[in-house]
Amino acid sequence: MKKLFRYLKPYSFLAVISPLMMMGEVLADLCLPFLMSFIVDFGIEADGLQTITDSPLAYGIMSTLWGKDFTQMQIILTFGLLMLLITLVGGFFGVFCAYTAARAAQGFGNDLRRDAYARVMSLSIEQTDRFTTGSLVTRMTNDIAMIVEFIEQMLRMFVRAPMFLIGGTVMLILLDADFGLVLLFSVPVLLLTMILVLSRAIPMYAKLQRRLDRVNSVVQENVSGARVVKAYVSEEQESARFSRANDDLCDVNFRVLKLMAIISPVLLLIQNGAVIALIWIGGVNLGTVEATGMTTGTIMAGITYVTQVVHSIMMVTTMFQSVSRAMASATRVRELLDTDPAILGGTQEGSDAQAPVAIRMKDVSFRYPTAIGRPVLHDINLEIRRGETFAIIGATGAGKTSLVGLIPRFYDATDGSVEIDGVPIGEYRLDALRQKIGYVMQKSELFSDTVEGNIRWGDPNASHDEIRDAARAAQADGFITGFQDGYDTPIAEKGASLSGGQKQRISIARALTRNPEILILDDSTSALDLATEARLQRELRERLRDTTVVMIAQRIASVQSADRIAVLENGTITACAPHDELLKSSPTYREIYRSQMAATEKGGDAQ
Amino acid sequence: MNQQNRPTASKAQTPPPVIPLGPNRRGGGPMGARMHAEKPKNTKKTLGRLLRYIGKSGVLLGVLLVIMVIVTVAELLGPFFQACAIDTIQKDAVSGRLTVDFDAMRGYLVMMAIVFVISAVLSYFQEVLAAKLSLRTVRAMRNDLFCKISRLPIQYTDTHRHGDIMSRMTNDVENVSNAISQSITSLFSCVLTLLGAMTMMLYYSPLMTLIAVITIPISILVSSKLAKFMRKYFVRQQRLLGQLNGQVEETVTSYKTVVAYGKEEESVKKFAETSNQLRACAISARVWGSIMGPIMNFLGNLQYVAIAATGGALVLSGRAISIGSIQAMLQYSKKFTRPINMIANQYSSILTALAGAERIFEIMDSADEIDEGTRKIDISSVNGHIEFRDVCFGYVEGEPVLQGLNLSVSPGQKIAIVGATGSGKTTVVNLLTRFYEPNSGQILIDGIDIREIPKADLRHAIAIVLQDTVLFSDTIRNNITYGHPEATDEQLRRAAQTAKADRFIERLPEGYDTKLTESGSNLSQGQRQLLAIARAVLADPKILILDEATSNVDTRTEMQIQEAMVALMKNRTSLIIAHRLSTIRDADLIVVIRNGQVAEAGTHDTLLAQDGEYFKLYQNQFAGIQT
Repeated sequence: MKKLFRYLKPYSFLAVISPLMMMGEVLADLCLPFLMSFIVDFGIEADGLQTITDSPLAYGIMSTLWGKDFTQMQIILTFGLLMLLITLVGGFFGVFCAYTAARAAQGFGNDLRRDAYARVMSLSIEQTDRFTTGSLVTRMTNDIAMIVEFIEQMLRMFVRAPMFLIGGTVMLILLDADFGLVLLFSVPVLLLTMILVLSRAIPMYAKLQRRLDRVNSVVQENVSGARVVKAYVSEEQESARFSRANDDLCDVNFRVLKLMAIISPVLLLIQNGAVIALIWIGGVNLGTVEATGMTTGTIMAGITYVTQVVHSIMMVTTMFQSVSRAMASATRVRELLDTDPAILGGTQEGSDAQAPVAIRMKDVSFRYPTAIGRPVLHDINLEIRRGETFAIIGATGAGKTSLVGLIPRFYDATDGSVEIDGVPIGEYRLDALRQKIGYVMQKSELFSDTVEGNIRWGDPNASHDEIRDAARAAQADGFITGFQDGYDTPIAEKGASLSGGQKQRISIARALTRNPEILILDDSTSALDLATEARLQRELRERLRDTTVVMIAQRIASVQSADRIAVLENGTITACAPHDELLKSSPTYREIYRSQMAATEKGGDAQ
Repeated sequence: MNQQNRPTASKAQTPPPVIPLGPNRRGGGPMGARMHAEKPKNTKKTLGRLLRYIGKSGVLLGVLLVIMVIVTVAELLGPFFQACAIDTIQKDAVSGRLTVDFDAMRGYLVMMAIVFVISAVLSYFQEVLAAKLSLRTVRAMRNDLFCKISRLPIQYTDTHRHGDIMSRMTNDVENVSNAISQSITSLFSCVLTLLGAMTMMLYYSPLMTLIAVITIPISILVSSKLAKFMRKYFVRQQRLLGQLNGQVEETVTSYKTVVAYGKEEESVKKFAETSNQLRACAISARVWGSIMGPIMNFLGNLQYVAIAATGGALVLSGRAISIGSIQAMLQYSKKFTRPINMIANQYSSILTALAGAERIFEIMDSADEIDEGTRKIDISSVNGHIEFRDVCFGYVEGEPVLQGLNLSVSPGQKIAIVGATGSGKTTVVNLLTRFYEPNSGQILIDGIDIREIPKADLRHAIAIVLQDTVLFSDTIRNNITYGHPEATDEQLRRAAQTAKADRFIERLPEGYDTKLTESGSNLSQGQRQLLAIARAVLADPKILILDEATSNVDTRTEMQIQEAMVALMKNRTSLIIAHRLSTIRDADLIVVIRNGQVAEAGTHDTLLAQDGEYFKLYQNQFAGIQT
């Protein structure tokens, strides 16, 4: 939390002003009972005109305004108007405080949010993976909102409650020292009750949430798995399962509510007990022979102050709850801000584009930093020539995506070196390195922008013609122009309205727009039918004579025309050669080939 | 054409372990949630039904109402006795000194104490009972809703967004629950308080009551005007917040692409822009929101002064009114304004709850799955002869999917259904299991129209393995014995063995008792499919439907799954919905569906020789790229 407070610094003026404003409001509120008591004591009481001289303040106000002669009605109206005036002034302070507090807190939140987001954008892929998307979104939004809310509350309420507590107590004692006794008893009892109740209730809320999650997950499973539930005639079984989860939820919920139900009666009891005590004390003091200055008005004012004090204690305790919540959020946001980007760029700007070897990997091994067990990749040695089309094939989990992910430094190799154009990739500036590469993901990632806007990601300066050209090569122009708005068609929900093949082709167009030195295709044609894929491949070969292409594929048909094919097995390359050679030399490759292609051959022979 | 035109789910990526950080909090912004009161369409009817639900706990409700009346009366009596107590302080006519009638005061104070203790104790019970009432009602509603959902036809879940159904189960039920536990009780006691306070005030002074009442319409007017104004900002704020969430979510989920294209700075800039807008909007919303309080305070104090002035005037004019009475009036007037604000608040949350209840009842009112069949069948004696006769069907009117499909499968036959995407392969499954009803034509099993068979019997006779594996967050054991909870360990193990799932299960630290996380995400795609196959093995059906999985797994895992499926199909009538042709060559019969009809049927070799539809599909998928 402390570290986050520095974000409040630019707003320190506002942050100081807000509590001051709040003090103004509280003072106004504290004045009101006094004025009310003046109205009752001097305006309404039959002998008010005589007794007013006992109160220097009331008399002072009246005599400066009206001189020595005034009626009781004048007293009522004067103090009444004063009351309204003070209410207005207090209200003004209150609104002003809301304004300054909002400016400070929202400014703080804005800065924090922007910094946090910039931090997210500087992290490595591995780091964001580790945080997980959901948790990053939560930190950026809910957690920050929680902290902002807390700061705003702090600037407003944290001053208000203690001030009421202290101010109310002071006023009460000013009214009559004996009134203080009432607080001496009621405040500790109230505090104790609140602490006891809350300390038991808070852990129960966590339990409640877990039970609720359980209910939700049963429903979720039944809705999305309705076919299986019905096919196995398990409706009753599921209803029973739900009913159990539901009962569990209601049980805990009832226990929490029952516990919380203690608070308001106790509060009522203490508040009213204090009122009774006040009246009694007031009465006793009135009855004593020595003049104590006690009046009915004083008792009434006292009642108001006691009520204020009791309520402020309620406020203080509920504030503790929000402190603990805000602290938890602050820890999560700080965790994010304290994460230093794991992958930093070097200084190298460009490179010798003539080097014969475009990509070289030497003794590379890689494991995800938090993973245990054997590394994902080991003993990788590779040289990919400039302009070569290099394919990688292998089973699920063999490490294909991890291998190509090392090239744009999505991840850094644990051991060994990766070079591009003879320069270790760590020496390039990150943006310079990535500028060389066009990367098409396994899962197409599109953004809420127009189709053209998405393709333009490859090169922000591309003209419309260049974009169309790239789309044409990616076999995407046909279906894009078929859309009603063509290239201006907005893509919503990550492209939910597009088919997998369409998304893949747009992603490919995006990569092509950038005219990359290295094009990485991570199984990115899997959703295309073979005829389209064949056209695409032909087009790529035409356009990308000098581009080094690294492609991952599942289908032999997609890779067999590559210059070389690497077979990746259990994290290492077991064979690397052109298609024909591999058929002879690699049993794994042969096996894959058979499983996919044998059908055609057998079918052709008609057995 | 596009046989494989399906999105491939994530494949080779080895996801790094997930570190769960922080709770998943639902919902949008922290504020302004209640600002948008929704409007129910048919308030009266919904309210009636809701009340019937509450009415089921009639006794509880009755007790609660009685307690509420007592509490309210007690709370009104408090100030009355307080006024009496203060009035015991009298000015001595002779000496002009204040004197106290201690006996009387003690009496009143004791009365006050009794009243307060009673009201505190009872208000505790009131809260507890209200909680009980609302939980009971909501529990019944949730159970009914869930049972209803499980009785709904598949069509319902297919045509409604799952998120929407979920939110009825959670948010809407929650809103109803809050309304019952808080709004209804506080509304009731507000009205009682209002009436009581009014009576008491009238008792003290009709004139002063009139003056107090005047401020009420003013405060209602002002607060509703102000609320409208605030709402504008809150709505905008919610929207910006949503936009911000969307931006973070999008760039983070697609972070690799963002990084690969060096868009980090640009997206930071875009984010900052929205964030700035949000800041400005939030400040306005807060400031407008903070005005309400002071205005209400002002009106309250205005009332106070007005009553005091009138009271003062009355006292001066010699009309008999005690100071205690004025004090009581002032107290009551406070009790008077608070409920009005509360009612205004509760009104919007009750509307929201009613709108929620309406959505819940909407599900409850949708038609159940039809199950009129009465001809019980003995599952063990089913032969597994299937026949489709002139079956026509369309999900949407005017868009027929099947147009007079005829198909006959002999017992024990293994038939594969192929066809382009959208040709109606999956529809065949939907109709056979009666997830959907054909528009015309007949489907027969062993010569019996399936409409005559009770659905439970029909479905017990059939097992399906779906494309998207459905697993439940339960143990592996319970997932396999799903639908047959009485299965023995021996049966369980044998099923897993047949499905080739035993090896990986036994390697898990807790074996069959391993709990699957939500939707089985701690298993690989292949393992999940093996579990689903094991489940079908255990069900031991006469008829088996395999909606074949697409390219979610690599070739080798798929071969394993194939083996398991072959074992499963032994001695059963099997329907395979094939998406990949490589797996169906051994089928006894391959049926090609096109335009909602059977275009061709035969074995692999005869169909290839025909050089027709099958040949074309086949070529498209397997021909290498000739360059």
